[in-house]
Amino acid sequence: AASAPDITGGRQSSPPPPPVDPGRDLRPIPPPDSEPEVVILAMGFPVAGLPPVPSTSSTSFAEFSMRERMREKLKAARDEEGHLVKDKEEDDLFIIDQTARDFLVVKPADYESYSERVQREREILFTPSILTVSALQKMPENMQPRYLEDEGLYAGERPTVSLANQNIMENRILRQEKGKMWFGDDGKILALPNPIKQSSTRPPIFSLEEGIGPELETLYRKAVKMMHANQYIVGSGDPRGPFQLDVDISGLIFTHHSCFSREHVLAAKLAQLYDQYLARKPKNHTKLLTDKLHALRNAVQCILDIRGSDVPNPVANQSITEYKLEIRQTRRLRDAEQEKDRMLLKTIVKAWKEMKSLRDFQKFTNTPMKLYLRKEEVDQRSDEKEYEAEIQAEINELLEEYRKDYEKKMEQYRIELQEWKSWRKAQVCKKKKKPSQLQEEEAAEELEHADEPVKPIPPLMTDRLEVEQQVREKASNIRRKPGEAVLIPELSLTGNITPNELCPRAEVSRREDVKKRSVFLKVLFNAKEVSRTITRQISSDFRVHFGQIFNLQIVNWPESLKLQIYETVGLGSPNLLAEVFIPIPETTVLTGRAPIEEIEFSSNQRVRLDHEGVGSDVPFSFEADGSNKMTLMTSGKVSTTVSWAVDLTGVPLIPPASQQNPVSKTNIGLTDMKKLAKWAAEARLDPNDPSNAALMHLIMVATSGEVSVPDFFRLEQLQQEFNFVSDEELNRSKRFRLLELRNREVAEFRNYKQVPLHEREISEKLFQDYEERLRERNAIDTKDHLDAHRALVAKYLQKVRESVINRLGVFCFLFKLAEPKRPLKPRRKERKKVTAQNLSDGDIKLLVNVIRAYDIPVRKPALSKLQQPSRSSRSFNEMFAASPSPQSPTHSIDWAFNQVLVRPFVQVSFQRTVCQTTTAEGPNPNWNEELELPFRAPNGDYSTTSLQSVKDEVFINVFDEVFYDVLEDDRERGSGGIHTRVEKHWLGSVRIPFTTIYFQARIDGTFKIDIPPVLLGYSKEKNLANERAYDSVRNLSEGSYITVFITIEPQLIPGEPVREKFDTQEDEKLLQAAEKYQAECRLKFPNRGCQTTVIDINGKTVFITRYMKPLNPPQELLSVHANNLQATTELVARYVALIPFLPDSVSFAGICDLWSTSDQFLDLLAGDEEEHAVLLCNYFLAMGKKAWLIIGNAIPEGPTAYVLMWEQNQYVIWNPSSGRFYGQFDTFCPLQSVGCLISSDNIWFNIQQYDSPARITFDVSKSKLWKPFFSRGLPFPGLSSIQPEELIYQRVDKIAALELQDRIEKILKEKIMEWRPRHLTRWNRYCTSTLRQFLPLLEQNRGKDIEEDHQAELQKQLGDYRVSGFPIHMPFSEVTSLIEAVYSTGVHNTEVSNIEFALAVYIHAYPKNVLSVWIYVASLVRTR
Amino acid sequence: MGSIPPGGAWKLLSGVRAGQTQVDHPQLDDVAYWSHPIDIHFATKGLQGWPKLHVQVWHQDAFGRSELYGYGFCHVPSSPGFHLLECVTWRPLGSWQEELSQLFVGGGPQLLNSDLIYTGADRYRLQTQAMGVVHLQLGVLLRNFDRYGVAC
Repeated sequence: AASAPDITGGRQSSPPPPPVDPGRDLRPIPPPDSEPEVVILAMGFPVAGLPPVPSTSSTSFAEFSMRERMREKLKAARDEEGHLVKDKEEDDLFIIDQTARDFLVVKPADYESYSERVQREREILFTPSILTVSALQKMPENMQPRYLEDEGLYAGERPTVSLANQNIMENRILRQEKGKMWFGDDGKILALPNPIKQSSTRPPIFSLEEGIGPELETLYRKAVKMMHANQYIVGSGDPRGPFQLDVDISGLIFTHHSCFSREHVLAAKLAQLYDQYLARKPKNHTKLLTDKLHALRNAVQCILDIRGSDVPNPVANQSITEYKLEIRQTRRLRDAEQEKDRMLLKTIVKAWKEMKSLRDFQKFTNTPMKLYLRKEEVDQRSDEKEYEAEIQAEINELLEEYRKDYEKKMEQYRIELQEWKSWRKAQVCKKKKKPSQLQEEEAAEELEHADEPVKPIPPLMTDRLEVEQQVREKASNIRRKPGEAVLIPELSLTGNITPNELCPRAEVSRREDVKKRSVFLKVLFNAKEVSRTITRQISSDFRVHFGQIFNLQIVNWPESLKLQIYETVGLGSPNLLAEVFIPIPETTVLTGRAPIEEIEFSSNQRVRLDHEGVGSDVPFSFEADGSNKMTLMTSGKVSTTVSWAVDLTGVPLIPPASQQNPVSKTNIGLTDMKKLAKWAAEARLDPNDPSNAALMHLIMVATSGEVSVPDFFRLEQLQQEFNFVSDEELNRSKRFRLLELRNREVAEFRNYKQVPLHEREISEKLFQDYEERLRERNAIDTKDHLDAHRALVAKYLQKVRESVINRLGVFCFLFKLAEPKRPLKPRRKERKKVTAQNLSDGDIKLLVNVIRAYDIPVRKPALSKLQQPSRSSRSFNEMFAASPSPQSPTHSIDWAFNQVLVRPFVQVSFQRTVCQTTTAEGPNPNWNEELELPFRAPNGDYSTTSLQSVKDEVFINVFDEVFYDVLEDDRERGSGGIHTRVEKHWLGSVRIPFTTIYFQARIDGTFKIDIPPVLLGYSKEKNLANERAYDSVRNLSEGSYITVFITIEPQLIPGEPVREKFDTQEDEKLLQAAEKYQAECRLKFPNRGCQTTVIDINGKTVFITRYMKPLNPPQELLSVHANNLQATTELVARYVALIPFLPDSVSFAGICDLWSTSDQFLDLLAGDEEEHAVLLCNYFLAMGKKAWLIIGNAIPEGPTAYVLMWEQNQYVIWNPSSGRFYGQFDTFCPLQSVGCLISSDNIWFNIQQYDSPARITFDVSKSKLWKPFFSRGLPFPGLSSIQPEELIYQRVDKIAALELQDRIEKILKEKIMEWRPRHLTRWNRYCTSTLRQFLPLLEQNRGKDIEEDHQAELQKQLGDYRVSGFPIHMPFSEVTSLIEAVYSTGVHNTEVSNIEFALAVYIHAYPKNVLSVWIYVASLVRTR
Repeated sequence: MGSIPPGGAWKLLSGVRAGQTQVDHPQLDDVAYWSHPIDIHFATKGLQGWPKLHVQVWHQDAFGRSELYGYGFCHVPSSPGFHLLECVTWRPLGSWQEELSQLFVGGGPQLLNSDLIYTGADRYRLQTQAMGVVHLQLGVLLRNFDRYGVAC
């Protein structure tokens, strides 16, 4: 058998599929306890290869043994033939051998009978009976079942369970261990109350047609065009269209009017009383209280009856006392009400009587009022009985009360008496003890006597009669007498009014006056009149009916709603009688449901009339003798309804609730908590009833005392409790603040890059500027301005700027849009232009190419004696003459050649970065050097608006480099080494604002250097120039010139001005013509400036000629040189130039060019070229000159305005902002091109080939050369000027100027010391005072011609010093610019140890607070 | 179009609360790609009012008119890191007349107050229609939360 598996194993690799008998599948799977393995092993078959063998139980032994034998045979055969290996044979053998019969056996289906199974199950299962279990079984031993419900306790409703199920359960439980614990006291299974909720949890599905909560409402919206798309940005809130408030004004009743006659007054009183009566009647307090009184009395009687016998019952006694107390209170109330009723009736009757007597007296009737008194007869006897009974009852009660009172008092009296007696005894004892009293003690005794108790007086018992009398008296006063008819007043308006014919004249005139009067009402919404009623006549009964409904369509929650009552007399103007404020209705008050309200009004106007009318606020009297005066005010009632409208779909048109007053949202349910608790206590609610549990809990919370009901409503519950940090801490975070500010694009933080990660890395200083600005938003620091007026102006400018920006908000927005955002498609340009984006610090450089200079002042020998070439002021002719008058050389030739005249170099400073050129030599140096200065935008913000508002200026300073020998002794020279000291002396400067460069893109030209009128130690080197003939022309213009070329690298694209339509008051036609004219001009000469309309300070478009009008210059200026016209002209120009210059592009960055009128300009004391030019031109016109405004281009300003003047047969061009003038053919005239000329009645555009002033003719009459705006086709319509009629100048305030002068001097001195931190700064007082004397002189001569005198003078006085210094002259605007100017001269930059300084300031005040500032700075070095 | 409604304790430091995407015209698939960046920075003093993203999907029809296509909201994840969010959207159903007119002329019912999208428990009473899913990719950075005992 051991080898058998091998063979079969080898065969088993591909065993033949065992024949499958379909019947075999149905065979039940052998139970697991069968042992196939055993069989298999026994048969020698491997387990895996064999089909399952049927269970052994039914296999017959015979069969088995036969098979066994067969196998043994087979085995033997195999063993024999094992070596021959004939597979085929074996296969055949095997198949034949194994038939299905060998494996299968047929068996009947297994079946267990039902009864058997029941039997078996019964052993395991328990079926409880369904019979009721007796109560005794369920209860513990010796216990009776207890029923809580019978005892009156609340036992909740049990859930319904069928009895059978209950029984089964009980039976089952009882069989359980400790089963009885499941049963309650009443022998029932313990159960919670029915858990089934009354309402179903699943929400009902609402059909859309039924009402949905307002918060869930949807609104069908049509699909909309994307044009309004931005309105759908979430959060902006969908505007739900206008809301509507309906104001219904139904009428007006006067309760008093000045035209009331006396009768009317009475009638009004009567009507009022009757109204009161009517109001009281339905309430009928008297009846109510009387009934209550009766009921109480009955109750007392009842208790007394029940008690009957003398068994004292404390409960009954208690209630009797309570009742009695109640009776007393009720009685008191009833008496009061009765009295009121009675009084009212009496007054009504009295008023009516008065009225009747008045009617009799005046013999006419004015009012239709009639009072009827209806009598209701009563049964005399029963009434009397009732009355008497009432009185008796009252007397009894009172007596009882008094008795009680008496008893109480008696009790007290007894106690007091007792006390007093004991005290008395003590006194007697004391006296006995000390029979002889000392004097002093007696005094003490006296004192004691003072507070010795008074002997109490026994109370008196009230007498019955007395009480009765009291009661009867009261009853007769306030009550109807028995048997007296009940009076019911009835007011009717059926009386006849006496017709006019029968009335006296005074009355007729009164009636006519009334007829003349009419009334209307204005409806004021948020204090604005929105509508008014029709005017209605006052009727004779002083009632006005309007019956008008006003629908107010509103957007916001209203602030106030007011009615104004106006009265018109005849054709006169309406007179405001009174104002009535109408409360804004609650959101629940909707149209159609609102009740009409009567709102009273009254007016305190005094009206005295000359007819029957009693007037208002005028005392009058009904008595013949004039006593008992009364004063009545006009008053009345308006009946109105104000309610919220409801639209067609029934949605109330109420503005969103968020805008409402939150007060209206108090929780009403909670405030009444106390009342609720009281009610619960009274109603004796079962506190055990779970249906009351919620209520009880609430009451418990509410009444437990400490927990007060909040009168507010919390939105975010428990927010406070769960906060990590407080609000303050969150706000204190610098990092968060920085992030927020940056996000808000606050100017200081707009381009702040990289906010630090840690709090500690952010310094406090960062916010200082911002906070300062916030603080001074309103109060601009007066320290910077030193002048109250200028501070005001600065404030004003800021405000104008803000308002302009607000008004032009859209404009700015457009401007931003105009900036190219994504330069994806760059256009080809001659040079790389860079837009504002993507720039950072250091990217932009300012290139300054300093080319050459002419006529630099030259040094003078230190002690040269100068002759005084005194010159009188020259005429224009003289100045522009082709050849100058030759002057004799004043210096010896050898001096000129011995020393270098001057060694100038140029220093360019911009944003405190300084660059300088090399030093050249001579008065006409040639540098040709390029300087590179970095540009930093404020806060690193390179947007167009930011760049436009850069206020920095480029200073181009010309210095002279001077070498001084430091060696005092000549002998040391030989020892070698160079011992010289370099000093630089300021010669002059040119200032160019950055904005000019920015807008112009490049600046190329020759500029006049601002050289101070006096340069100590230097002189203009005229003589040498004179000798050279070819240079002579240049000499004509006084002063030195420098040629520079400035540009920005890379080129910045300035924001393009966007033409925008502004508000205007100009004629539409005129504007169209202007546009056409301008377009034509631009088409022909795109580069020539042409302006027809400008924007005034209010943001309105104004035609330009309206600015031109002769205006008077200050009289003081005219009178200085009364007979010298030219000097006067120059002085006026100087005055204009002294008004500080402030370009609009700086003050109104990114907005536009605003033109202010001359008076505005003078008030603001700041303006740019246009304002200066307009003012100067207007002055010239007033002085009788021919003058025009030139719109053109100049360097360095760019597009600008100049003034052209026709004088002495030649044209003179004035630069209004510097006050200088140039001839038409002046080479150095800064005006480069002329675009158009403007006078007060026309505009001429330059259509000549050239535009340079020297090459054109200014004769505007030639229409070939000048294209006029107003011509024959369009005649001048006579536009009125917007300038004022006359300019008013304030007087010069010399004291203020002096003060300012001192302050500036002090500040500047401090600054200079500050700039020299490492050196001692000494001030030379003597020199300072000398300099101070010169400054007024300079002002007088306008800085001309005094150089030599001055020089000599100074030399004389300060002989021992080498002085270098100069006066600076500026118009005064603010102190910083002065400081900047002083700083740029670099006077302080000297290292010489023994240097001394001198500084003097002089301020000359001109009218209108125009100040000219002179600053004289000098440094002195002692030579000896 | 989406917004982050202001929550009680949260303070916006930078970024914008609400914005609108461009209009995408899905041609390849049923998916519209907006690729709209959201960049917002909050500081908080408490956990209440954790920021939610509230989206409104609008549809632009062939005439260029826009109509509401769905409301939805989802919370900003409270754990730092990158998240893929799916914000399901729905739109209110109107009456049958409104549905009919919507079918032909566009437009449709809109909520009168859009607060309901992310507040209020009564939303279940609305009859709505499911309107697709907005997918969001959010990167969340948290700072100092652990200092206040918030584990993220």
